[in-house]
Amino acid sequence: MAVTAPVQKAARDTLLLTHRRLVQTVRNPLWLAVSFSTPVLYLALFTPLLKGVMGGHPTNAQVLAVFLPGILALLAFVNGSSMGFSTIFELQSGLIERFRVTPASRLAILLGPILSGLIGMYVFDTVVLIAGWAFGYRIHWAGLLVLAILVALLMTMFGAFSIAIALVAKEISSFAALINGINLPLLLLAGVLLPISYGPTWLQVLAHLNPLYYLVEAARTLGRGAVITGSVGIAFAVLIPLTVASLAWATGVFRRAVA
Amino acid sequence: MPSPNDVITATDLKKSFTSRRGLVEAVRGVSISVERGEIFGFLGPNGAGKTTTLRMLTTLLPIDSGSATVSGFDVAREPQAVRAHTGFVSQLGGADPFATGIENLLLQGRLYGHHKREVIKRSDELMDILDLREFAMRKVITYSGGQRRRLDIALGIVHQPDVLFLDEPTTGLDPQNRANLWEHIGALRDRGTTVFLTTHYLEEADALCDRLVIMDHGKVVIGGTPKELKHQVAGDAVVLTLRDHTPEEVAELAKRESYVRESSIDNPTTLRLYVEDGPTALPPLLRLLDGAGIALVAMSLSEPTLDDVFLNQTGRSLRDTGDSGSSPQPQKVN
Repeated sequence: MAVTAPVQKAARDTLLLTHRRLVQTVRNPLWLAVSFSTPVLYLALFTPLLKGVMGGHPTNAQVLAVFLPGILALLAFVNGSSMGFSTIFELQSGLIERFRVTPASRLAILLGPILSGLIGMYVFDTVVLIAGWAFGYRIHWAGLLVLAILVALLMTMFGAFSIAIALVAKEISSFAALINGINLPLLLLAGVLLPISYGPTWLQVLAHLNPLYYLVEAARTLGRGAVITGSVGIAFAVLIPLTVASLAWATGVFRRAVA
Repeated sequence: MPSPNDVITATDLKKSFTSRRGLVEAVRGVSISVERGEIFGFLGPNGAGKTTTLRMLTTLLPIDSGSATVSGFDVAREPQAVRAHTGFVSQLGGADPFATGIENLLLQGRLYGHHKREVIKRSDELMDILDLREFAMRKVITYSGGQRRRLDIALGIVHQPDVLFLDEPTTGLDPQNRANLWEHIGALRDRGTTVFLTTHYLEEADALCDRLVIMDHGKVVIGGTPKELKHQVAGDAVVLTLRDHTPEEVAELAKRESYVRESSIDNPTTLRLYVEDGPTALPPLLRLLDGAGIALVAMSLSEPTLDDVFLNQTGRSLRDTGDSGSSPQPQKVN
C-alpha cells in the first residue's frame, strides 16, 4: 500500500515537491515574463556599453565571450539567493508546517524548491544562449556542459543559504534587508559585468573571499571553450564543499528553526 | 492513569523558550489522557500553552522533558510513526492558495506515502464528507473562510489518521460557518476519528467536546466533561439586582443558607449566588430575602458556564483575558 524504503520515499517526496513548485512557477505569467526578459535586457543593453569600455574595436563575439558567461553566473546567483522569498510566503501561509506534519523527508522539503529552481534556471540559460548566439556569440559545447554543473552548484549553494536565512528571519522585511545586504557586496566583488582584474589589488584580494567570483572566472574560460584550466579546477574545489556545507546548514536550520 | 483505550497520553510535558525577556515557560508540566473516539478539548486563554502542547504532540516541536504517546507510538522516539497516524490542522491551515483544492489533497495524500490511485479515491470521499465538491476544482485563493477551513480539515484527514489535531479550528469564522464546522467535526468523531482541539471559545468547548481540560499559564487547571466541570465547580447561579441594599450585605445573609455555595459581586447593585440546584433554591431564597426586607429590582437564574468554572479556578474570567480586558471583571468574594 504505502511506499516504504526510506531512500525511495525521499526521492518520491522530492519529485512531488519539485513538481508542485514547477507547476506554480509556470502558472505565474508575470513572473515568467520578467524572468525571461531580464537576462535578454542585460545582453541587449550592456553589450554596446562594454564594447566601448573594452578598448580597441572588439566584435560582438569578443564582447559576448567575456560577458555572456558572466550573465549565466549572475542568473545562478540571483535565482539562488532569491529562493527565500517563496520560503517566507510558504512559512506564513502554513504550507511548510503542513509538509512537516507528514512523514515526508525533511531534505525533500528543502530540495523540492531548489530542484525546481534549477530547472527554471536552465530554461533561462537556454534563452540567454539563443539570444547571445543571435547577437554573434560562439557556442562551445564542452565548456557549456561543465559550466552547467558549476552554475547548478552555485545556485544550490545560494538557494539553500537563502532558504535558511528566510527560516531564521521568518518575515519578509528582515529577510529582504538581510539578503540584499549580503547580495550587493557579493555582486560588486564578483566581476560579473566587468572583469575584476580591471580593479586595484585590494579589490582583487577581497574578491577571492567571494564564491561567486570563482564561478565568474571559471565561466569566462569555459565560455571560450577552454575546459581543463586552473580557474575551472579552483571553482570546483571551492563550490563543491561550500554547496555541501550550505545544504547541511540549511537542513539543520530547517529541523530547528521552524517553530 | 493510562488505559488500553487511551489514544493519546502525555506525562509531565514541559517546554520553555528563550525570548528577549528571558526564559518563557510555555508549558509547565501537562499530563493528559485522551480516549479513542472522543472529542477532547484544550480550553484556555491565548498564551496558555495550548498550541505549544499540540505542537509537541504532533512532533513539530521537540519536547523539553516529560513523555507522550500518540496511537501507541512514542512522540520523541518514533516521530515518523506518529506522523503517519495523526493529522494536524494548524491555525494557518496550510492549503496552497495558488493550487486547487483537489491538487492540495492529492499532494498531501501522496506525501503521506499513499499511491495516487488511492489518494484520488480518498479525495473523492472527502469531497462528500466535507462538502468540497462544488469548489474543489477552483484555486484555494478564491475560497471563502468556511470553504477554506473545510479543505484544511480534509488535508488533515486525507490519510485517515487515528487522531486529528485541530488548533483553534473556528477562529475567524462567522457564527454560521462555525456551527457548520462543529457539525462536520462531530461527524468525524462519529466515524471513529479521535479529535483533539484547542479553543478559547467557551461555547465551542461546551458544544463540541466530550471531555476537556482548562489550561492556564502552561498548566492544566481542571479536567472533565463539560457537564461535570460546570456542576462540580460552579452549580447554577442566581443573579439578584438589588434596590436598596449592597451586594456585600445580602451576600453575608445568603451565605448562611446551606444551599448557597458561593457568591460573587458583578457590580455595585448585582449579586451572583452559586447554588447547587437553581430551581429548588429559588423558593427558600425568595422567602429569606422577603423576610429580611430586601427589595429586588430583578432576579434571574442562569445555568453555569465554563467561564464560571474558569473564574472559579483562576480568579479571572476567560472572557476578560487576552485581548478584551475592558469589560468589568466580577470580583470573587467567598
